[in-house]
Amino acid sequence: MKMAWQEIMKSKTRYLILGAIIFLISLLTMIISGLANGLSYDNASLIKELPAGTFYMEEEAEGQYNFSSLDGETMEEVETVSSEVMFLSIQMGEIEDADEKRHSVAFVSTANNDYFPSIETGGLVLDASIMEEGITAGDGVTNGMLDHSLTVDEFVEHQKFSHAPVAFINHDDFQRMYSTDDFQLAFIPGDEAPHMDGYNQFTNDEFLDTLPSYSAEQLSLNMIVVFLFVISGMLFGIFFYMINVQKIATYGILKAVGVKTSKLFKMMWVQMFIITVIALLLSVAISQLVGIVMPEGMPFLLTIDSASMMSLVFLVIGFIGSTASGIQISKVEPMQAINQGGI
Amino acid sequence: MSLLTINGLEKTFKHGSTEEKILKGIDLDLSKGDMTALVGASGSGKSTLLTIAAGLQEATGGEIIFDSENLTALDDEQVREIRAKRFGFVFQQAHLVPFLTVQEQLELMLDTAELKWSKEERRQEIEDILEKVEMQHHRDSYPDSLSGGEKQRVAIARAVIHQPEILFADEPTASLDSKRSKEVMRLLTSLTKESSITVLMVTHDESALEYADYTVQMKDGLIEYPG
Ligand SMILES: Nc1ncnc2c1ncn2[C@@H]1O[C@H](COP(=O)(O)OP(=O)(O)OP(=O)(O)O)[C@@H](O)[C@H]1O
Ligand SMILES: [Mg+2]
Repeated sequence: MKMAWQEIMKSKTRYLILGAIIFLISLLTMIISGLANGLSYDNASLIKELPAGTFYMEEEAEGQYNFSSLDGETMEEVETVSSEVMFLSIQMGEIEDADEKRHSVAFVSTANNDYFPSIETGGLVLDASIMEEGITAGDGVTNGMLDHSLTVDEFVEHQKFSHAPVAFINHDDFQRMYSTDDFQLAFIPGDEAPHMDGYNQFTNDEFLDTLPSYSAEQLSLNMIVVFLFVISGMLFGIFFYMINVQKIATYGILKAVGVKTSKLFKMMWVQMFIITVIALLLSVAISQLVGIVMPEGMPFLLTIDSASMMSLVFLVIGFIGSTASGIQISKVEPMQAINQGGI
Repeated sequence: MSLLTINGLEKTFKHGSTEEKILKGIDLDLSKGDMTALVGASGSGKSTLLTIAAGLQEATGGEIIFDSENLTALDDEQVREIRAKRFGFVFQQAHLVPFLTVQEQLELMLDTAELKWSKEERRQEIEDILEKVEMQHHRDSYPDSLSGGEKQRVAIARAVIHQPEILFADEPTASLDSKRSKEVMRLLTSLTKESSITVLMVTHDESALEYADYTVQMKDGLIEYPG
């Protein structure tokens, strides 16, 4: 323990460089995964902001929500099962502002809901991100499939679907636009998930996976993060190896005078731990700061929880990397060091 | 009373497919408290004999009896424990730990030897030995800031601080000039004599021989007895 610290203090530059490398690698990984998370959140914050629960979709829709429909009878039936059920429909579409500029949105209409704004006929609540496109509260917007215009009532934060801002709309207007009385989905929050004949159940995450644009994007993002971790692991290993190689002679001498190999390993682990923890604390702090200063248009999401999880993974990687590279320690023969000469 | 007895010790090195027998059956007896000097031509196998006797490498034949235990029959961990607690080492180079100060080197040795000394006893012992090797004012120096002779003095302090039973020294004065050599030899002798530490020392240095109780000559992997 003591020796580990004594060496760090004596070889400050060397450990500073090692620490800087670990810091940069982990910061890179955290920022990239923050961006990846942000992107995936931006893709479907409408769903991600919901509490955990169960989505119901017509079996015949085969996992494609826009082919699903729940008729009035079914809805009543579902309501007897759970009073907390919410119904919703989602349709990608567009609105045209006064300047005849078109904006892609995801129209969402709900019934019986506790999570989203309730909209009067002719009203519209939009995701705040659309404000950047010049839409303000009180604006009138139109849609080709609707004979009257809609008034923007207010804006809400973090409601996006398929990267498009969500437009909450009254169900009557939705009905007029898409000429259907039915809702596509039912959502029951919480663990309660009664089985219903003719309907498939999905958890929030499973539902997200049914969205082709989401699952494909998610796969790429996950691969990026996984590769970053794998490469960081190798880099960790290589750098710990280099540090160990420089100390081979010293390890040999320590062994010659009778220091236990296990003590040498402990020393290496403690050093790895000290350096990695300091570097990771810095990375977490800075990546959180990056999250704060990131511009709106660059979605970035890295919760303290996931940053801590990643730090834990890095610690494990560091441990494996240093241990693997430390195998040399157990191989060093005292004689090598004695014959080699040195200080 | 004999402390270390070497019987028929052999060592063969392999160079690829050819084998070279460096030690061809060495018999040697070290009595408690004596200093035995090992001399002989370069390549005659002195260092090999010393390091095998010290448990730093394995023999290919024969046995080493230390305090009625056969070193050649012990496992690595048992040999390590003997090296840590009961042996001391000085080599041609000081081989100090580069990242420890003089005092820390000594503390490490006390930890390694797992001595059950109180804090006060440890402090006192370190103080004593630093004074004897005249390195008190360098207690917080790192090896890279010490001269060759100073390093060797620290190495000697490190080798005897845990009060080993045998000190193995391989050409401890070879890297020093004659004045420093004398200093180091005087120190080594006084420190070992006062605690009756047995010494096995390889040397090329004629002047070092006058400190030895016995001198043993090696030639071609065998000990050459006069007459
Ligand atoms: N690890 C080894 N592998 C192969 N050969 C070795 C090894 N160690 C020593 N030898 C050989 O054993 C012989 C004796 O070496 P040793 O170091 O014991 O000699 P020495 O008497 O100490 O010589 P010097 O006075 O030069 O130090 C040499 O020929 C050397 O090449
Ligand atoms: Mg030699």
